[in-house]
Amino acid sequence: MRWKKFFLFLFLFLFTKAYPSSFVMKSSFLGKDKIFVLFAGPVDKKIAEDKGNYYIYEKPDPDIPLRIKEISLSEDRRSLTISFYEELNQHVPHVVHIKNLISEGRKIGPVVFSVKKSYAGFLLAILIGAMLVHNFVFTKYLGLCVFFGTSRRKSTAIGMGITFTIVMVCSAMISWFLYHYVLVPLHLQFFQVVMFIGIVSLIVQAVDIILRKINPYLFKAFGIYLMLVLANCVILAVPLLIVVNNYNALEAFIFSLGAGLGYFIALFLMSCVREKLELANVPPSYRGLSIAFITAGLFGLAFMGFSGMSIF
Amino acid sequence: MSPELVNIAIGGIAVLGVIGLVFGIGLALAAHKFSVEVNPKVEAVKEVLAGAQ
Repeated sequence: MRWKKFFLFLFLFLFTKAYPSSFVMKSSFLGKDKIFVLFAGPVDKKIAEDKGNYYIYEKPDPDIPLRIKEISLSEDRRSLTISFYEELNQHVPHVVHIKNLISEGRKIGPVVFSVKKSYAGFLLAILIGAMLVHNFVFTKYLGLCVFFGTSRRKSTAIGMGITFTIVMVCSAMISWFLYHYVLVPLHLQFFQVVMFIGIVSLIVQAVDIILRKINPYLFKAFGIYLMLVLANCVILAVPLLIVVNNYNALEAFIFSLGAGLGYFIALFLMSCVREKLELANVPPSYRGLSIAFITAGLFGLAFMGFSGMSIF
Repeated sequence: MSPELVNIAIGGIAVLGVIGLVFGIGLALAAHKFSVEVNPKVEAVKEVLAGAQ
């Protein structure tokens, strides 16, 4: 029972955010250079279409106002379309500050709200991005030692991929919390690498101990790979990239999950090809690891097809 | 060295030490809780056997 309450609080803590002021019912991006706003009631046309009445900026840079080209109010005086001279960078939230607004003779003081893309779409973009578009093996060339070592057979590749995903998600979450609640308040950010290495070894050791007791069969299957995970650069790269990209807890979780699944996909694809290569007539000088490197290069070329792809 | 740098260094060492201690205690507790009983006779029998293979 106590745990349920704890998770409920955690859930509320993670997902609670400020809602826009109630007079603005809906706000969204429209096309490349427009913002659409829907009000709860009809507003005064003269004040609503006055450009000096608005102050709109990208959330990271509050002192750079965006130049407004035109503001138009619809027939029923409830929906507003603001168009700009430049294209909007829709990856960052935009804050709209309306200094003055009058609805049917009633004054509705200053209104501030932010316009952003749908959050679920953003999370999906992070997941797909970490999994395919910026695949850690084929586009970032990380974790190659384990990648070539364990992709010889399909069964080992699957075992390694699952172990990897579990350890990656656990270590990324713990390092996120420790980084944001211990290192940042104490201004010790330069310790991140030392700390993350310690966390990875902690997780690996803990999984080793717990798995040995709870599921000996799984332990027999994973035992060898767990120690390989310990000295892997992908595991260390994920928390560092999370810090660089400034993700929050949920985004960090999705990102690490995507990275783990991406590694799993890479291992599985590679093991499928290498099983077939065993039967192929490869020239003697290319046999073994060299043909594997060539195959990985071809995979890398294929994964280049995803690059530059933007979702939502 | 300036005193601020010394302070940062001491703080960093202290933080890492505390975190390491917490992790170590946690791991030790986990190892204790999830300990696997190994039958001592297995070792004894292995000891007695020839052990060439």
